[in-house]
Amino acid sequence: MSTYLTGTFSSKEIAVQAINQLKAGGYGPDDLAVFSDEPVEFPHGVLDRPSHMSLAVVSGAVLFFLLIVSFVYFTQHNYRLVTGGMPIFSFWPTGVVFYEITMLGAILTTFGWFIWESGLLRRDKSVPVPAVEPETICLRIRCATEKFDSAATILRSAGAANVAKLEKAA
Amino acid sequence: MVLALLGAIAAWGLAAWGYQIHTGIGVAGIRRPVFWGLYLVDFVFWIGISHAGTLISAILRLTDANWRKPVTRAAEAITAFALMIGGMFPLVHLGRVWLFYWLFPYPNSRLLWPNFRSPLMWDVTAISTYLTGSLIFLYLPMIPDVAQLAEKATGWRLLLYKVMALGWTGSDREWHALERAMKLMAGIILAVAVSVHSVVAWDFAMSIAPMWHSTIFAPYFVVGAIFSGLAGLIVALNIIRRTMHLESYLLPHHFHNLAKLLLLMSLLWLYFTFAEHLTIWYGNEPKEMNVFGARVSGKFSPEFWIMVFVNFVVPFVLLGIRRLRNITTATIASVGVLIGMWLERYLIIVPTLSMPRLSAGWGRYSPSWVEISITVATFAAMAALYLVFSKLFPIVSVWEFEPHEQEDA
Amino acid sequence: MSEQNKTPHRWGMAIDLDRCTGCQACVAACHAENNLSVSDAESAAKGRAVHWIRVDRYYEGEFPDVRVKYRPVLCQQCDEAPCEPVCPVYATYHNDEGLNVQVYNRCVGTRYCGNNCPYSVRFFNWFDPVWTEPLQLQHNPDVSIREGGVMEKCTFCVQRITRAKDDARAEGRALKDGDIQTACTQSCPAEAMVFGDLNDPESWVSLLAKSARATQLLEDLGTKPKVFYLERAK
Repeated sequence: MSTYLTGTFSSKEIAVQAINQLKAGGYGPDDLAVFSDEPVEFPHGVLDRPSHMSLAVVSGAVLFFLLIVSFVYFTQHNYRLVTGGMPIFSFWPTGVVFYEITMLGAILTTFGWFIWESGLLRRDKSVPVPAVEPETICLRIRCATEKFDSAATILRSAGAANVAKLEKAA
Repeated sequence: MVLALLGAIAAWGLAAWGYQIHTGIGVAGIRRPVFWGLYLVDFVFWIGISHAGTLISAILRLTDANWRKPVTRAAEAITAFALMIGGMFPLVHLGRVWLFYWLFPYPNSRLLWPNFRSPLMWDVTAISTYLTGSLIFLYLPMIPDVAQLAEKATGWRLLLYKVMALGWTGSDREWHALERAMKLMAGIILAVAVSVHSVVAWDFAMSIAPMWHSTIFAPYFVVGAIFSGLAGLIVALNIIRRTMHLESYLLPHHFHNLAKLLLLMSLLWLYFTFAEHLTIWYGNEPKEMNVFGARVSGKFSPEFWIMVFVNFVVPFVLLGIRRLRNITTATIASVGVLIGMWLERYLIIVPTLSMPRLSAGWGRYSPSWVEISITVATFAAMAALYLVFSKLFPIVSVWEFEPHEQEDA
Repeated sequence: MSEQNKTPHRWGMAIDLDRCTGCQACVAACHAENNLSVSDAESAAKGRAVHWIRVDRYYEGEFPDVRVKYRPVLCQQCDEAPCEPVCPVYATYHNDEGLNVQVYNRCVGTRYCGNNCPYSVRFFNWFDPVWTEPLQLQHNPDVSIREGGVMEKCTFCVQRITRAKDDARAEGRALKDGDIQTACTQSCPAEAMVFGDLNDPESWVSLLAKSARATQLLEDLGTKPKVFYLERAK
């Protein structure tokens, strides 16, 4: 059984210390979550979330490129009409269309991957979420119920305020 | 109250459009040879305005210019709405608008497909892509703010905000994903924006009509778009600043920076205009010189010189002289630029079409009340959309920006 | 199948400017044949009159030593027509007999083709056409009435081409030169206009097209028009 506890920090540096101590205590990145009302930049290596977004976006773009080229090739051969002396499949005039649809692929992939990577829509509703006070950083730890006290101790010793168990909001 | 007035003007324009669909597109003033008139002018104009968001949001985001932060959402909103309005004009100018869906590739029993070689099809794909992209670009950074609004909202707004917030909790995973997505989107939307206005330019440049078939059109239009978009942004920001009392967020130095950018774009615009006209004049090709003469000294010369005056002289004086540069003069210069850039689109489209290669085809164009009504209505619609947006959502991005003490000007 | 031409046709026209008197019988005939709408004074003043063929007049010299040159201008059925690639819905395309075909049912009315035609021979239907009674009774049943919102232009009387081909096939013979007369070539009193198959080396239009007097309008644009104007070189 997991319980959740939170502690609030007033500055990024203290939070970093706490995270390092928790990591030394055996807690992994999946057990830790930082909540804030604006993005917090931790130094490299503290709480890294690996991301494949760039790769995904490039792949999405390439996929859409292949799709649109085949589609245009198919339609221009299906409906074989010569216009103005241009060939049946003219790559360069239709190249603009290819470019735009490729970028559309990149856009849609960015948005879709963002939804996926942020975990927004697949969030487990049973996991409690702390309310975030402005200008503070809230650290939430997931731990086994029996280890609750040791986690709380690490938090307090690192300098957190309001160390408390997090209940699911009703 | 203001919203009601704007809504009424927009509704009048819509009614004019309905009249046009019912009676026939002949109620517009267009005629042979000027097959494209005010509707295309408005189309290019509004798509140009939409480059406001791209410039401020994307370019300044990519260059890490932090002064952009209070201004980004206002700019992105302009982009989204200007695109929606501009994207309507290809429909308005169609002869048989009820068949507009033939421009989209869909399987049908007649086995017909659209002609992707046509620049108008490039328009369809480019504007669809850009609209999708800018809506997403506008929406993404709104998520944290909307989540915050949802905490205190009631009634239908609560439902709206909750749905839009997608369950945002503010965790670091979400923030990292958001920032990564924004960075990628900034680059993508910039690439798309450049292509979109190039494609709109190519509607004209791919044609062999005199003074249209010019290689400078694509970059010329992109520069002009950023120019007019910036002007639109300055005007919108000044209005927001006063009506929503955002003096501590939108500071004089923001307007100074935007004004300097506007001046830069004005010089760039002048450079392109001069290069284009010098080349035509020096080449002395008779068909092109007809159009050139009409623009510079003939029947279109009043519009031409007004355009040069408000696009270059006024910004140069008001914004170039540091003592004269302030929020008010920046707004005056911007209004001038908006007028000037609209005239520029008019001067690109109408003179060339009125003087085709064979002089037997020459003809004079004057817009009808239908076209003018619809043009005016789009300005009202833009203002109305913007007003509604700023009432529902914070126009200054809350999570990106902290207010400062009011600076002395 | 009977003796049909195995090679496709390539329709062309030759207009002898030294014979043309500028009488505009061709214009009137085209109106009658193709159900062209007749404009009232107000529409004509607005530049909305429709003349698929028009006679351009060029004046040289000062009064009283003025010379007028007449040139009937119609759709040149260009082989590399600038109007064709720009239509987003393929309402205008090149068929295999060399005709620049305008498909009224497909046109959505973007009017890009009209802008791109360097000869200004394309016309747009701004409204649904109206004929005062009883003029609608004289419509040619072989030609469709175009509704408002659709582009139109000279078709080289494609209805006559089709009818002649049908007649020839029904009679089991090949098409002969002279079987097809467009309305304008048929009505010219000076016999200045000739229509025929450019792929037939013996046809009158082919011979005229190879004449030393043959020129093309706006030839330097590379549109490859199929109307040849014959005039004495100056």
